[in-house]
Amino acid sequence: MARMKFLCDADRCIECNACVTACKNEHEVPWGINRRRVVTLNDGKPGERSVSMACMHCTDAPCAAVCPVNCFYTTADAVVLHSKDICIGCGYCFYACPFGAPQYPRVGNFGSRGKMDKCTYCSGGPEADFSTAEYEKYGSNRLAEGKLPLCAEMCSTKALLAGDGEMIAEIYKLRVIKRGYGSGAWGWKTAYRETVAI
Amino acid sequence: MLIKRKSGDAARTKHQAVAAGLAAGVLDRRAFLRKSGLTAGALAAAGTIQLGSVRKAQAAGSSAVGPDTVIKKNVCTHCSVGCTVTAEVVNGVWVGQEPSYASPINRGTHCAKGAAIRELVSSDRRLKYPMKLEGGQWKRISWDQAYEEIGDKLVQIREKNGADSVYWLGSAKFTNEASYLMRKFAALWGTNSIDHQARICHSTTVAGVANTWGYGAQTNSYNDIRNAKTMIILGGNPAEAHPVSLQHVLSGKEINRANMIVIDPRFTRTAAHATEYVRIRSGTDIPVVWGILWHIFQNGWEDKEFIAQRVYAMDDVRKEVAKWTPDEVERVSGVPGEQLKRVAEKFAKEKPATLIWCMGATQHTVGTANVRALCILCLATGNVGKPGTGANIFRGHTNVQGATDLGLDVTSLPLYYGLVEGGWRHWARVWEVEYEWLQSRFDEVPAKGGRKARTRKENMESPGITSTRWFDAVNLPAEQIDQRSPIKAFMVFGHGGNTVTRMPEAIDGMNKLELLVVADPHPTTFAALDARQDNTYLLPICTSLEMDGSRTASNRSIQWGEQIVKPAFESKSDYEVLYRLAQKLGFADKLCKNIKVTNGAPEAEDILREINRGGWSTGYCGQSPERLKAHMRNQHKFDLVTLRAPKDDPEVGGDYYGLPWPCWGKPGLRHPGSAILYNTSLHVKDGGGGFRARFGTERNGQTLLAENSFSKGSDLTDGYPEFTYGVFKKLGWDKDLTPDELATILKIGGEKPDTVSWATDLSGGIQRVCLDHGVSPFGNGKARANAWNLPDPVPVHREPVYSPRPELVAKYPTRPDERQLRMPNIGFSVQKSVVDRGVAKDFPIILTSGRLVEYEGGGEETRSNPWLAELQQDMFVEINTGDAAARGIKDGQWVWVSGPENGAKTKVKALVTDRVGKGVAFMPFHFSGWYQGKDMRDYYPQGTDPVVLGESVNTVTTYGFDPVTGMQETKCTLCQIAAA
Amino acid sequence: MRRATTFLSTLLLAVMLLAVPGAFGPAQAQNPIQADGQNPMGARPTADSVNEEFLFKQESKIRGRVSIPDGKAANLIQPQGREYQNFRERWLPWIGALTILGMLAALGAFFLFRGRIMMEHSQESGKKILRFNAFERFTHWMTAVCFIILSLSGLNYIFGKRLLMPLIGPEAFGAIAQWAKYSHVYLAWPFMLGVAFMFVLWIKDNIPNKVDWAWIKAGGGFIGKGHPHAARFNAGQKGVFWMVAGFGAAMAATGLMMLFPFALTDINGMQVMQVIHSVIGIVFIAGILAHIYIGTLGMEGAYDAMGSGKVDLAWARAHHDLWVEKEQARTASGPQLKGHPAPAE
Repeated sequence: MARMKFLCDADRCIECNACVTACKNEHEVPWGINRRRVVTLNDGKPGERSVSMACMHCTDAPCAAVCPVNCFYTTADAVVLHSKDICIGCGYCFYACPFGAPQYPRVGNFGSRGKMDKCTYCSGGPEADFSTAEYEKYGSNRLAEGKLPLCAEMCSTKALLAGDGEMIAEIYKLRVIKRGYGSGAWGWKTAYRETVAI
Repeated sequence: MLIKRKSGDAARTKHQAVAAGLAAGVLDRRAFLRKSGLTAGALAAAGTIQLGSVRKAQAAGSSAVGPDTVIKKNVCTHCSVGCTVTAEVVNGVWVGQEPSYASPINRGTHCAKGAAIRELVSSDRRLKYPMKLEGGQWKRISWDQAYEEIGDKLVQIREKNGADSVYWLGSAKFTNEASYLMRKFAALWGTNSIDHQARICHSTTVAGVANTWGYGAQTNSYNDIRNAKTMIILGGNPAEAHPVSLQHVLSGKEINRANMIVIDPRFTRTAAHATEYVRIRSGTDIPVVWGILWHIFQNGWEDKEFIAQRVYAMDDVRKEVAKWTPDEVERVSGVPGEQLKRVAEKFAKEKPATLIWCMGATQHTVGTANVRALCILCLATGNVGKPGTGANIFRGHTNVQGATDLGLDVTSLPLYYGLVEGGWRHWARVWEVEYEWLQSRFDEVPAKGGRKARTRKENMESPGITSTRWFDAVNLPAEQIDQRSPIKAFMVFGHGGNTVTRMPEAIDGMNKLELLVVADPHPTTFAALDARQDNTYLLPICTSLEMDGSRTASNRSIQWGEQIVKPAFESKSDYEVLYRLAQKLGFADKLCKNIKVTNGAPEAEDILREINRGGWSTGYCGQSPERLKAHMRNQHKFDLVTLRAPKDDPEVGGDYYGLPWPCWGKPGLRHPGSAILYNTSLHVKDGGGGFRARFGTERNGQTLLAENSFSKGSDLTDGYPEFTYGVFKKLGWDKDLTPDELATILKIGGEKPDTVSWATDLSGGIQRVCLDHGVSPFGNGKARANAWNLPDPVPVHREPVYSPRPELVAKYPTRPDERQLRMPNIGFSVQKSVVDRGVAKDFPIILTSGRLVEYEGGGEETRSNPWLAELQQDMFVEINTGDAAARGIKDGQWVWVSGPENGAKTKVKALVTDRVGKGVAFMPFHFSGWYQGKDMRDYYPQGTDPVVLGESVNTVTTYGFDPVTGMQETKCTLCQIAAA
Repeated sequence: MRRATTFLSTLLLAVMLLAVPGAFGPAQAQNPIQADGQNPMGARPTADSVNEEFLFKQESKIRGRVSIPDGKAANLIQPQGREYQNFRERWLPWIGALTILGMLAALGAFFLFRGRIMMEHSQESGKKILRFNAFERFTHWMTAVCFIILSLSGLNYIFGKRLLMPLIGPEAFGAIAQWAKYSHVYLAWPFMLGVAFMFVLWIKDNIPNKVDWAWIKAGGGFIGKGHPHAARFNAGQKGVFWMVAGFGAAMAATGLMMLFPFALTDINGMQVMQVIHSVIGIVFIAGILAHIYIGTLGMEGAYDAMGSGKVDLAWARAHHDLWVEKEQARTASGPQLKGHPAPAE
């Protein structure tokens, strides 16, 4: 089975935020929940780079490890998903996540959080594929349709790559060799304990 | 442990209970959503923001494509790249967007706006029904009432003040067909005061480029940039303004290891990806370009053969360039000579090289001259007319190229036919309307202000008032306005109210209007300004995603967009509204004499056929709706780089994608279009050709025709003029015309058949025969380094009106006060006063403006889209770290940015960054809804206020207009910033 | 016990040191190229581009700028999440289990060794003296009930998935955990109120003094015969008081930070709060277990103080002789206590 990963080629990313709105569009993600975001480093200075970031679907995912109710699970495609029926909104996954992926709707008192929401790699949740329940809780399930996450599919400069880890690493490597520079596979070391060696 | 079903069914049963419970209705929808945690959070977090609409809820569910899903293709409305939008429609509801991989232009991708475009159609912040202002209150009215009242008032104003007292503003978001229809509408109404957004974005490009080599458009294409080995992006930030174009730019940069040089006052997101970044002082483009050319001429790097064969009067340029030594360039622009030498060497020697520019070059008092200088740089280095070269001008809206082509312009008729008798008579023939009747519709202008009176015919041939000056034409004393009366009524279609400079004066102008009609999907800024109490109408127009029709991308490719869903709410298409208005005004039969009208709306396909019948001058004649639709069906067949389909394809064989104009002859001729203009290495039948011989054959003893240069396979192996029946007779080619063609030519020509040209021959015979002889119908001329008809034939540097360097003004003053386009332009007096009063001391910071990726234009539409609005929630000013520290301003705090005119000030958030240099501030131009610190949200009709409001930068922008096009100065004024 | 505490505080310090640098650290990037509107920078942006390794050398996490107002989204990568995970999953369960089970074992051993400390009869036996009034008792019990629920729901965050979930399945556990979370969040408030009341009520009797030192030197009377002097609260009780006050305050402070996440601190601060809250919570629970033991099973007569509020005078004389004297002197010179000492049966 494939090992799904994200790779953002920062030398291509121009912070156009297409990934962000594609995600909103595909899953009708409400205001205030940012399953994906673009962070600009060294903003306004030479060497500025932007990186699109969402859940990286880590190997040995910290969120899953720290979850007090074990609501996370990893699919055969190595996508890290969770069950909102079990999640209690404690926020621990946010503390553990190296990428700031978990999002919480602000419900309840004392600013306490609702059920966690995060990138599903466009592959829904534990409910039956394409069910209304799945859509309402997690958004659409493109992976089950044989499609990749829309953020990567719509990326304006094809900076954001999604797919089998080995394949996207290969694409990235070829690019770097062709053009002669590359700022690396951001977050791969932290997420997958590996990096794309050029 | 939970396991996703794909890896085993063990855990599935656990969740079936939940699913079953839902199916059995154990949980109601509300409880369920609450349980899911998403919706409740949304409502709580968003406050007043209501997400979703009734229609959305009905269509909600799975994204999977089911049997009921219909796929529709249209074109993104947010910039000129022309990204295909693929929509999934279920039961008439647009439920999902899919990547459009087949399109050779966007290849599946979008930017933030394109990826969020579905929201525009279902947005509950749209204008839902016609409204009028009564005593300062918005009232709902019916469409019939709207047509009646607006029509009556128009007639009344016309009778009292003349046809020119009504100002018509069209839109770059129109389809080609709507643009054409509106231009025709204005002609039938009897005015040339019909304009659109091109005025404020690339009017100077169109004027400058057309005056150099013939046509005012991008010479190559986005895709062709993949061929470039060097690219200069000057005054453009495509990473934010045209993100999908960066796909091609960055691919080219990577594949060819190309030089990507960004020249800009601001270290933009585009500059971040450059191989070389040149920071210049805003408004010094000509010194910088001449500085580059200085090195080129000094080192003999120019393309001497190209200049000799295809360029007129380059020596005149050499004289001007000689003045711009590296020292002088550095003194004026701040750019060191060494850096410009490096840039010059790369551009001249690492070829092919392309020059990309945007509004940083065009929106200046010297906009046309800037553009001319850039064209000359291309010409001097031989970087035009070949793959990987050219002036790649990135335009702003979906169809700003098409709307310009189709004549939403105060200086021309559709497809650049001039406002001369020949042009009028051409369109009168196409429309089958009496020329004399058209003439009768125009005003007679009495003598005033020392100017002579104008007859109807003279007025018909006199360019109208530009959209940058509409309020001056309301406010100024009548004698200063060169028409029968000042403007009394303003008809705005699809145009924001905050994109024109000097807003405080625009508000005064609005106050004085007798009638204001805003026809738009959103109320726009016009509705939210504290100016009017009555006689103001809002007409809900659908987005062009809800319309059939073609759009011309920046690269001149024409794409057919199909209606994705029916117009939402009570909104109507531009076609229908224009037709109904024409009905009320009594000329609907003339407007649509040869256009089929179905259910009260003219059909887009039929309008395009009429355009084809008259669009010879620009090669809009071959793109029939059938051909364009075939292209959309066969998108995947076109090559990524050349944009060409394989020759053997039955439907689109050999065509360039979107039949980029000029596409010669009748559709049946199957000309492939011209992907790269002026490309002599291709046969005319393959889209080749030379420069357009538009300016005559000879001047001052020098030929204006090409020398020893001609396109591949040409029967004429030298330069040649444009073709007329008379030229044909001399060449003996008149015999190649069919009897029908000849009959048409003779009928058109009447007593002077020899004057019938490739542009006026409605039979298409002249173009057909030209193609057979391998010659370009528009001739084979030289491009002009000296454009003698322009105010500055060879561009010269002129300091901005509000120059931050008063000591340079004496040497480089702006042009003297003069009258242009019916209006006075007192730039010189203003500049003098600015220097005399020492304004630069009180307002020491250069203020420049520009675009954000999330928003477009005036921004009402995009700021109403919560998916986009969330990403930019506050209007801001970028201020340099040093300037901020000196003023005690911290990142994120409120500041007042004040301008030097009208005591104007804006309250915005500070974004402290080195992106702007010291002494420079930048503000985006998409915001409105706040005015000088006041939140105007309550002024919008209820429920139509955009999610995000903010100050408009144009509240503090200042005077300054290009002498050729009336372009406003938005990129270089002065301001002061203080902590709020 | 003491060693365990030392170990814990060392670990805690270590974890904090690991986590905290992210919160400070130099933020200035490289490339001190002069940017000036008039004097341009001759920059080569592609050649200068930043990379992950470089940024990690400057700071322990990678931060940038985002346009959305959510400031924490500006953190691109914070590898400290992995360290937090390591603490929470590898150390915390062991710390928790060893501390609490260790305390239970210690108490069990003490019980076996010493048995229940019985009341020593004297002539005053049977007479009662009021030790805690109604409000004091209410405060105590309100706090105590909250503490127990907070402890259980708190421990559920660590042990629930390990112990309870396998027994009852994820859905049932999810529901219980949700209620546990609500109770943790809501009962934190009466708990904090209770601790505050107790602090105000009893602070004056809990100031350490020389008597306490003597009491400690005498082993509190647990070992050997005879009772050292003690006022209203002996040194052991003062210890409990100060533990409750100190740990209560710490739990309240860290807990409030988690109730209002990111209000005052960033992600690394939140991680530190988590660590402090959980470690102190565990020590707190262990300490309170000892308190419960001595107040109920461990000593005859002690429970009455918080039960009826009145204790046997003999017991009081033995354990809090100085307090009894003071009380009696007060009653002799002033109005009588409401509950007049009842005669022996």
